[in-house]
Amino acid sequence: MAQRRPGSVRYAIFERAAPFIGFIASAIVLVGIVIVLGENPANALSAIYKFTLQTSAKLAAVLSVSIPFYLSGLAVALAFKAGVFNIGVEGQYFVGGFTAALVGIYLHVPPAIHIPLVVLAAMLGGALWAFVPAILKVKRGIHEVITTILFNNIAIALVTYFVNNPFTGLQKGQSLEPQTRKILPTAIFEKLNGLFRSLGWNVPDYVYLDYSLVVAIIFGAVIWFLLARTRYGFEIRAIGTSIDVSRYAGIRVDRVQIGAFLASGALAGLIGLQEIFAIRGFYTYSLASGLGFDGIAISLIGRNSPVGVIFSAGLFGFLRQAGYGLQLFTRVPNSVTYAIEGLMILFIVVINEILVRAVRGMRKKEAG
Amino acid sequence: MDLSFVTFFLVKGLEISSPIAFAALGGVFSERGGVVNIALEGIMTVTALTLVWGAITFQSIWIGLLVSVITGMLMGFIHALVTVTFKVDHVVSGVAINIFAIGLTRFLCQSWFGQETQSAINSRLFPSWLGINSLAFWLIPVTILAWFAINRTVFGLRLRSVGENPEAADTLGVNVYLMRYAGVIISGALCGLGTATLFADKWISGMVAGRGFIALAAVIFGRWNPIGAVLASLLFGYADTVRIVFETRIPIPVQFVQMFPYVLALVVLAGLAGKARAPAADGRAFEKGEG
Repeated sequence: MAQRRPGSVRYAIFERAAPFIGFIASAIVLVGIVIVLGENPANALSAIYKFTLQTSAKLAAVLSVSIPFYLSGLAVALAFKAGVFNIGVEGQYFVGGFTAALVGIYLHVPPAIHIPLVVLAAMLGGALWAFVPAILKVKRGIHEVITTILFNNIAIALVTYFVNNPFTGLQKGQSLEPQTRKILPTAIFEKLNGLFRSLGWNVPDYVYLDYSLVVAIIFGAVIWFLLARTRYGFEIRAIGTSIDVSRYAGIRVDRVQIGAFLASGALAGLIGLQEIFAIRGFYTYSLASGLGFDGIAISLIGRNSPVGVIFSAGLFGFLRQAGYGLQLFTRVPNSVTYAIEGLMILFIVVINEILVRAVRGMRKKEAG
Repeated sequence: MDLSFVTFFLVKGLEISSPIAFAALGGVFSERGGVVNIALEGIMTVTALTLVWGAITFQSIWIGLLVSVITGMLMGFIHALVTVTFKVDHVVSGVAINIFAIGLTRFLCQSWFGQETQSAINSRLFPSWLGINSLAFWLIPVTILAWFAINRTVFGLRLRSVGENPEAADTLGVNVYLMRYAGVIISGALCGLGTATLFADKWISGMVAGRGFIALAAVIFGRWNPIGAVLASLLFGYADTVRIVFETRIPIPVQFVQMFPYVLALVVLAGLAGKARAPAADGRAFEKGEG
């Protein structure tokens, strides 16, 4: 876009304003809820501040919980760009995490090989779980929203079976929750806290800023490059804009959509790495659930862009920590943040639609 | 197999099918009017909680049912508002409502019952008949009513017309927005009725467990026809009943038995592809005065 028409900057601002307006609207609702619950809004805000932004340690905690949010948002966003609605991220990360854990437990190789293999295995597992829905969508026209949801349920049952039976790491008589054997030390995701401290950022020991942060940064950059700078990325974006036009332009829609669906599944596979390889050190089916659905919200709020998703994932990390702050220091339960997250997406999709239509109207008017 | 076992199996299957079947009927109303309703799952999640809350607070399961149906209609109204008035993509809105439902129920449950994941016990249950929740038997008259409403009334004709060709319906003076709102709100009410046949004794986070999505598969399998959708729901429901009744008697790991209904839904969908035809304007926004 070498030449911008007058007013196009204003349009661009309008078109991107929805997340901000949505955020402000939901913040107002939050304050309303706080008042209804009989708490002083100032108290609530100070509790949130204390738990999120006040110290560099709290900021590091926000960053830490944002890592899986980012990967999840990125996975959904990539699929969205290609016109694929991947609701199956949830199941894909349970399966991807499991295949990665198998590599981490049973393969004996030095760390320099082990860690990349673990990442690769996670991606393979996630892509595998996206494969059947991708084929069913493209070859048989079955909407992926239904198939991926069914696959989510199947995934949970499957990993529950694996963890209970063939791959259990529990000895008889122990009363711990079912889990696999311990992951080998060569595959553990070490913390980078020391590195950050030497750079002058005081990251306390209880915060997990581990290799998964590096994984998130690398794949964020790769997906950005793929979408913005390659032919394949252009095809993906074209399909997301209009399938009919893309088909007419000679893009092989089926192929590109299957590719994007599988890549989205592969990214989804990475979501569980932090919890499995840095925090727990083993695999269990009671991993944090719901991250796949958070990813949809994060992707929508970040306008399905690898850069936008950085901010929305950060926002979700912020909200999660804010919830703990509220729970600890006020009478407001932390679950309020889950309700607010849901409300925020509704606000944003509606406001976005209104703004996009308004801009279209203004353009039409201008064109005369 | 003695006769009482057969009766038990038949009746139990009806009870297990009915949440899916009511939701599927809801899906039919919504989609015949041209609004794709992925939000069935979320609406069921919320109504399942408000049912228990209503029953405990007002000490009557019938008021609980009323609360459940009304909240279902409210949730349907939100989906209609977002998709029909604001013209947001139907799937995006449905998914957003499902996420909102998860957050909302966690918050409400914590506010009402002091914990996020389950409610207090509700001791006021629906009267049981033949050993099951008698509300499940409502499925039979409600299905007939739904069929009649869609195929034999002016309302049904108008609803179908806005789902097939809203522009033509509009030209003939049908209020497209109103009909679409009606379809989605009825679908919310039916979800509220459906969750009442789930378990009324207590709300647990995740208790709807994908039934809303299975119901959507049933709508497609039943070719957007009330009777067909209910029959498809019965297929899924009885598959689940086989699982529950025989879980302990067959030498297959329990998790594989649990997958059965989902795999069945997938196989049915895959086998059906291309043959089922959705209402022509299903999922399409209608803009008055355009085109």
